[in-house]
Amino acid sequence: MMNRNKVVIGLNFKYFSRAFIATVLTAICLFLPFVSMEEKSVNALAVLTGLFGSAHVGKMTIVLAAGIVMAVLSLIFAVINYVKPSKALMRLWICSGAIQCFCYTVLMFGTKVMVDGTGVLPAKFMVRDFGFGYWIGLLGAYVALWFTMKVAKVNPGYIVLTILSVIWLFPILWILLTSFRAEQGYYVGYFIPRGFTFDNYLNLFKNNSVIPFARWWTNTFIVAVCWCVFNTLIILGTAYVLSRTRFQGRTTLMKAMMVIGMFPGFMSMIAVYNILKGVGLAQTLTALIVVGVAGAAMGYYICKGFFDTIPKAMDEAAIIDGANRWQIFTRITIPLSKPIIIYTALTSFLGAWSDYIFPSILFGDKQASYTVAVGLKWLTDFRRIDANYTQFAAGSIMVALPIVILFIALQGFYVEGLSGSVKG
Amino acid sequence: MKAVQKNKNGLASIFSKGDIFSKLSFLIMGLANIVRGQIVKGILFLAIEIGYILFMVKVGAHYLAKLVTLGTEGQGMVFDESQGIYVISQGDNSMLILLYGVAVMVTTAVFVFTWRTSICSGELARQLKLANKRVPNFIADCKELFNSNIHRLLLAIPAVGIIVFTITPLIYMILIAFTNYDAEHQPPGNLFTWVGLENFKMLLSASGKLSATFWPVLGWTFIWGFTATFSCYFGGMFLAMLINSKGIAGKKIWRTVFVITMAIPTFISLLVVSTMLGKRGIINVLLEQWGFIDSFLPFLTEGLWAKITVIIVNLWVGVPVTMLMVTGILMNIPAELYESARIDGAGPLMMFRKITFPYMWFITTPYLITNLISNFNNFGVIYFMTGGNPSNINFFKGAGKTDLLVTWLYKLTKDSKDYNLASAIGIIIFIISAVFSLIMYSRSGALKNEEGFQ
Repeated sequence: MMNRNKVVIGLNFKYFSRAFIATVLTAICLFLPFVSMEEKSVNALAVLTGLFGSAHVGKMTIVLAAGIVMAVLSLIFAVINYVKPSKALMRLWICSGAIQCFCYTVLMFGTKVMVDGTGVLPAKFMVRDFGFGYWIGLLGAYVALWFTMKVAKVNPGYIVLTILSVIWLFPILWILLTSFRAEQGYYVGYFIPRGFTFDNYLNLFKNNSVIPFARWWTNTFIVAVCWCVFNTLIILGTAYVLSRTRFQGRTTLMKAMMVIGMFPGFMSMIAVYNILKGVGLAQTLTALIVVGVAGAAMGYYICKGFFDTIPKAMDEAAIIDGANRWQIFTRITIPLSKPIIIYTALTSFLGAWSDYIFPSILFGDKQASYTVAVGLKWLTDFRRIDANYTQFAAGSIMVALPIVILFIALQGFYVEGLSGSVKG
Repeated sequence: MKAVQKNKNGLASIFSKGDIFSKLSFLIMGLANIVRGQIVKGILFLAIEIGYILFMVKVGAHYLAKLVTLGTEGQGMVFDESQGIYVISQGDNSMLILLYGVAVMVTTAVFVFTWRTSICSGELARQLKLANKRVPNFIADCKELFNSNIHRLLLAIPAVGIIVFTITPLIYMILIAFTNYDAEHQPPGNLFTWVGLENFKMLLSASGKLSATFWPVLGWTFIWGFTATFSCYFGGMFLAMLINSKGIAGKKIWRTVFVITMAIPTFISLLVVSTMLGKRGIINVLLEQWGFIDSFLPFLTEGLWAKITVIIVNLWVGVPVTMLMVTGILMNIPAELYESARIDGAGPLMMFRKITFPYMWFITTPYLITNLISNFNNFGVIYFMTGGNPSNINFFKGAGKTDLLVTWLYKLTKDSKDYNLASAIGIIIFIISAVFSLIMYSRSGALKNEEGFQ
C-alpha cells in the first residue's frame, strides 16, 4: 500500500492505513450532528462555541474542548506520520488519541451537566440524544487508538485493561468515598461527597454508639485468631496423617469425609444449634469457635495435596536415624510446608470475617455477639440503611482494609494453595 | 507382627482361635488385656463398657424406644388428682426425642468401634504372649501414639469434632426429611412423626404449590451454576491472558488491581454492590444524572433483570479468582508451542483455540467441576445481592425468582421453619453434588492415565 516502501525500525505499517482512516473519520465527525434534540441538530464545534458564548464554562466544557483539540491534533500527527513516519511522532499520535478517547468517554457521562440550563440546547438532555457524529467519533477514536498502538507495537491490551480496571474499582471507590462522606443518608445524587469527615469512623468506635461495631470487630477478631491457630493445627495434623501414614480404614475415612462434605453444610445448622443449646453454649462466641474448629478437618484436602508432594525418602531416612512419626511431623514435614501453612492460616483467618450463615442462625437478635458479617448485613436492612449507610461504608472499610493488606502481602502463598487445588 | 495384622481381619477367627479369655472378652471388654498384663488398658476398656451400659439403661434405651413413634403424648391439660386441678403436661418433645435418639445411635456406633478395637488389642496381646515377646505396658502404648499410632493421636480431636458437630446433626437432619417437622408441627407444643417419602413426593410431583416452586428453582439453580461457572472461567482466562500478553508493562500492578476486589470479603463487596444497585442506589442515580435513563432500572427488583444482574456481579467477584488461578498455568504452557505455531502462520485466535484452550481445559476440568458444584451452592452471591427476591406469588412461602436451592433451604430453615422440606432439599442438593463429583472423579481418573499434555 501507500507505505510499502517505508521502513522504520519499531513500527509496523501493516495497520497504518486503518489507523489513518479512523483518525480522519473522527476528525470529520466534528462537523456531523453531535447532538440532535427536537429536530435540531448541532455539531460539536457549534456546541462548543455556543457554550463559550453562554458564559457557562464548566469542567465539562473544557473536556469537550480538549476532545475537539485532540481530534484535530490527531489528524495533524496522522498527516505528519504519513509524510515522514518516526517513532516519536507515533507516540504523540497515540497520546493525543488516548486523551481524545478519554474525553469522548467522559462526555458520555457529563454532557447532561454541561448543556442543561445553558440555553445552547433544549433542556433535559438524554444520552440517546447524541447524534451519530458523536457515536462514530467515539468509535473512531477507539479504533484509531487501537491501530496506532498496533503500528507503534504497543500492546493495545492497555485500552481494555484500563476500562476493566475502572469497572472493577468503581464500587470500591464508591464505598471508600462514602465512608468519608459528611452528608448522612443512603440516597445522594452525586458520586463525590460534598464534605469529607472522619466522623463515620469515629462514630463506629464511640462507646455510646447505636451500632456496637467495636464489639463486632473484636468478636470477629477473636474468632479469626482462634480459628487461625486451631484450624491450622487440626488441618495440618489430619492432612499429615492421611498423607504420610498408612493405617486401616484410611481410604474409607477419606471417602466418608468426601461424602459428608457434599451435603450443604448449613443444612444441619438447626441441629447444631440445638446441640449447642443442650451444652449451654447457645448465642456465645465460644460456640462459634468450637463449631468452626470441630469441622476444620473437613478442609484437609489441599494441605494433603501439598504433603503428597514431599518425597517419602525424607521420612524413611529420618526413620533410619531413629526418629518417630511425631518427630518427622514436627521437625521435617512442618518446616518444609511453610507455603501451605500460611495458606491454611490465611484462609482460616479470612473465613471468620466472611462467615455469615452459621453466626446469623447462632446469634439471632443478640446484637452484642454479632460478627462483622452479620452486623453489616443487619445494617443494610431497609429500615436501617438510611440512617447508617455512611457508617456501614466506614465499617466495611474497617473490615476490608486489614484483610486486603494481609492478602496482598501473602498473595504468593495463596496462589500456590489455589494451584494446589487445581492439581486435583 | 504381620501375622497379627492379618488376624485383625475377622472377629470370627479371633473368637474361634482365641482361648477362653479371648472369648470372654467379647462380653467383658478388656479381660484379655488384663490377663496378659495390660492392666490399665484393660480397665479402661472395662470402664468404657460399664459406662456405656449405664448410659443405655438410664437414658439411651428410653430414647431409642421412643424413636419409633417420635412421642405419643402431646402437650395438654391433664387432671392432677392429688391437687384436684388441671395442670399443663409437658408431653413428649419430638425434636428432643429425635436428637437424643440420634445421639444414642452415634454413641452406640462409637461404642461398637471401641469394642472391636478392644478385641483386636486383646488378641494382639495374646499372640505376643504366645510368641514369648514383651507385651507393651500402658506407657509403651502411649509412646506408640507418637509413632506407629500417630493417626489415633492426631485424628482424635478432629474425629470427636466431626462426630459431634457434623455427623450427628447431619443424621438428625437427614431423618427430619422423612418426618412432618414443618411450621405446623413445632415442638414442644406439637408432635411430629414419620411420614416416609411424603416430602419428596410433594417436592417432585407434577402438581401442587411445592413442586411448582421446586422445579423452577432447580432450573434456575442449573442455569445459574453453568452460566456463572463458565462466564467466570472464560472471563478469568481472558483477563489472565491479557495481563500476561507480551508488551504489557507492570503486570504485577494490573494483577493487584483485580486482586483487591478478590481480597475484600465477598459479603462486603456484594452488600456494597447491592446497595449501589438499589432503586435509589448510586448507579440508578448516576445513570439518570448522566442522561442514560428516564426512570430507575429494576436491577434487583424484576425477575429477568435480577437474574442477569447477579450473573454480571458474580463476574465481578469471580473473574479475579480465576485470573489468579489461571495465571500460574498459563506460564507453564511451553513457549515453543507458540513459537512453532507462529512460524506456521497461526493467528492469536487460532493459537488460543489450538494451544491455550485445550491445555487449560485439560488441566482445569476438575477445578471447573468443583467450581460448578460450589456455584450450585453459591449462597453468598444470591443471598447478599437479592436475598432470592423478587418474590413470586406462585411460589411456596417466601421463595423468590432468583432463589437457588440453597438459599431456599436457608429461608425454609430460618424464616418459615419448615425443616422437613429444608432437609429434603438438602438431600437433593447432595445427590446433585454427588453426581457431578462422580463425573469429575471418573474424568480425572481418565486424565491421569493419559500422562500429560506434551
